[in-house]
Amino acid sequence: MATSTELAELSAAWNTLSLGLVPAVALGLPALRSDSSEMFQEAEMKRALEVLRHYDLHSIIEEWFAEVLQTDLQGSIAPEFWNCITQYENTVEEQQYTLLLLDAFRLLKRRLDPYLNSLDILERWTAMGLLLGCGSQGLREKVYTMFKAILFFSTAKTFQDMIQQFYCRSFKIYMRQRRKGKNTVAEGMNENEWDSDAEDGATEESECSGCESTKGECWCHSAMEQFQQLSEILHRLDLLERVSSDAVTTILHKMIEERMEKRCRGEYERSFLSEFQQWIEKVIGWLSNVFLQDRNTIPISPEASSTLRRWRCHVQRFFYRIYASMRIEELFGIIRDFPDSKAAIEDLKYCLERTNQRQQLLMALKTALETRLLHPGVNTSDIITLYISAIKALRELDPSMVILEVACEPIRKYLRTRDDTVRQIVAGLTGDAEGSSDLANELSKADPVMLENSQDSDDNISDPEDWVPDPVDADPGQTECKGKSSSKRRSSDIISLLVSIYGSKELFINEYRTLLADRLLHQFNYSSEREIRNVELLKLRFGEAQMHYCEVMLKDMADSRRINANIRDEEEKLPEEEKPSFNLVAVILSSEFWPPLKEEKLELPDQIKEAMEAYTKKYEKLKAMRTLSWKHHLGLVNLDVELADRTLSLAVSSVHAAIILNFQSKSTWTLEELSEVLKVPLISLRRKMTFWLQQGVLREEPPGTFTVIEEEQKDRAEKVVLIDSDEEGDSAMASQADQKEEELQLFWTYIQAMLTNLESLPLERIHSMLKMFVMTGPIVSEIDTQELQSFLLKKVSDQQLVYSGGVYRLPKNCS
Amino acid sequence: MKVKVKLWNGVASWLWVANDENCGICRMAFNGCCPDCKIPGDDCPLVWGQCSHCFHMHCILKWLNSQQVQQHCPMCRQEWKFKE
Repeated sequence: MATSTELAELSAAWNTLSLGLVPAVALGLPALRSDSSEMFQEAEMKRALEVLRHYDLHSIIEEWFAEVLQTDLQGSIAPEFWNCITQYENTVEEQQYTLLLLDAFRLLKRRLDPYLNSLDILERWTAMGLLLGCGSQGLREKVYTMFKAILFFSTAKTFQDMIQQFYCRSFKIYMRQRRKGKNTVAEGMNENEWDSDAEDGATEESECSGCESTKGECWCHSAMEQFQQLSEILHRLDLLERVSSDAVTTILHKMIEERMEKRCRGEYERSFLSEFQQWIEKVIGWLSNVFLQDRNTIPISPEASSTLRRWRCHVQRFFYRIYASMRIEELFGIIRDFPDSKAAIEDLKYCLERTNQRQQLLMALKTALETRLLHPGVNTSDIITLYISAIKALRELDPSMVILEVACEPIRKYLRTRDDTVRQIVAGLTGDAEGSSDLANELSKADPVMLENSQDSDDNISDPEDWVPDPVDADPGQTECKGKSSSKRRSSDIISLLVSIYGSKELFINEYRTLLADRLLHQFNYSSEREIRNVELLKLRFGEAQMHYCEVMLKDMADSRRINANIRDEEEKLPEEEKPSFNLVAVILSSEFWPPLKEEKLELPDQIKEAMEAYTKKYEKLKAMRTLSWKHHLGLVNLDVELADRTLSLAVSSVHAAIILNFQSKSTWTLEELSEVLKVPLISLRRKMTFWLQQGVLREEPPGTFTVIEEEQKDRAEKVVLIDSDEEGDSAMASQADQKEEELQLFWTYIQAMLTNLESLPLERIHSMLKMFVMTGPIVSEIDTQELQSFLLKKVSDQQLVYSGGVYRLPKNCS
Repeated sequence: MKVKVKLWNGVASWLWVANDENCGICRMAFNGCCPDCKIPGDDCPLVWGQCSHCFHMHCILKWLNSQQVQQHCPMCRQEWKFKE
């Protein structure tokens, strides 16, 4: 039982202690004196505590303290603080609300200071063993949690904006100071005068870049002081992270984005990484300003430095992500500009290794390609050029070539749908393409890669320790179907990649052969050295066997020259009167080795035929048991047309020559007569006639009748005849489509036999049977199901075949 | 009008004067070459037997070398003699 003296003693002790620990206002008592907290000295309070300990009441003190603080915070401090903030909600002036913000926080600090002081005392007591401490969570931590929970449980938008603005300002001023600091060091000027405008000279606008106010009113200095004060307060109340980290994050993001937008966009030719690294270091300097109060003490406390490390990590990561995103967005342009944009590619590579954005890159690049490249408005050669750049750029970016393979699949797919792809690539290879010489350079590069080199086994794979797994976005299907080492499958060789668009090199060789034949026969303007060089280079790529035909073709050209020289020598020996009236030289082909030539009929004038026969005789004498078969419709003729008032010197095709030679004997021909004599169909003959009409040698009057114009008329200008544009595109070779058609005809007999025996078959069966029985031969090329289908459908429309219910059969009357 | 031809660049293909298209031994075209050769024409000539059959020279030589006892034309089984 407590006696009344004991009670009095206890109550006095409690009073002392409670008034000592918390402000009187919080207990609902009138404030005693301004210095009430100092009224009770610590010693006095300690004595009171001893009393309470005596009664075993010391255990409630901490709980009670927390309780009082919570009530006070909820009841008055928090409302007061927020009141103070909202009071000037509509203040526009930045300086004003900065002050206001600072005031509010000062107030908060003033109100909370007594508690914090008491907290110090309580902690000290706990350390001395006078108090129990409250559980695992220290009292201080509990108090700080309470601050955050009650004060900043939810913050108003305006408050956040204010804080953000405040930090933003301090950031700008800080960065400017640093810049100036550097400048002044460089210029040897007084570093303390950072806010005078003298140093930056002309580059500085009339505004201070830190506080964006005119020179005279620059308040950078005071702003920095305010910033310092606020940081101190927040640090003291342990509210720094809670209040400012959002704002700081936002500011940093914004600043990085702005800076990047301003500096890097569209600028691919230099690296920005190190530049930004320096800048980030500066930013970290500012962060340490924000988050480390005692930054002057060395060494920095581990806790603080870990905070800083976290922030540095965050800022860098954020920078990499933003930068990579921007570059990804611009990747199409970067690829187009490659190799000038190599720096940008390297930057992107560096960033990609640190962020998880490969998927984003693939998607973005695919979309960009589809919208900007793969549509009918783009020339095939341009697509190929870009594809080549993409190969070069992406193999820099991703040496495993997975990005290239996945992202460029749409290009390859699209190129397959273009008719002139092969022609363009071959033209590029031989340097005939108008635009780029990329491919030609690539071809002449040293150390070429053999295409489809099936011999090399897995033995030559380098050390297994060096094996690197494919990136996760690699297409597993391809790895399986090839069954080979995946790194080998993804060749980075430009030519092999281009050739593999169609999956077979034969197609390319054939196209090359056709182009070569065309150049040799139709245009007569080839340089043998260059052709030989090209063939040699291609041989390195495609192998001897493939290029063999082209070699024979070039050899034919050389042989022909020799034979011509032989025959010419023989003619020289003849007596003057037996010499032929004109020179006949021939290109003598080994027909088996040239692509199929177009068969056209043309009856040459006797004089020419005689010369050819004579030539053949001489050839037969030269080469025993061999003879010549002339291709009358091919050839180039140099001739002079001598008219009454003028002479034209021309180089024309043999058809044109044959036409005009016939006009020697008779000056007026109808188209029909001429067609009869020359054995040329009317339509193509008419097309050929336009050449002479255009030259002003013939005139057509009335239509269908052609007459020589012996004397030039003055009004010739009116009679300009347009040459058919397809004249130039005329190739000596049978077109690819025609050749294919012929090959398919070969299958037709098999198909007919098949259907006679088996009645009806679906497409797949026909294809597989053809594959089994027909396509095994060396001469017959393969056809795929699509080609077969279109061939069969053509037969259906010709009524040679019936298609119903998914199967083909022969029509009734046919069987 | 008079047309004076200065130079006629003609195109012709050469062919063997033979009574068949393909070599009876290798079944390749005469105007091509035998399987061992790369260059047709002078480098891979034809030869005629007295039986009037002709083959790539390399083909018939290979055939004749493989005959142990007597040398026959692979087509008509007559004794093989080169035609002069």
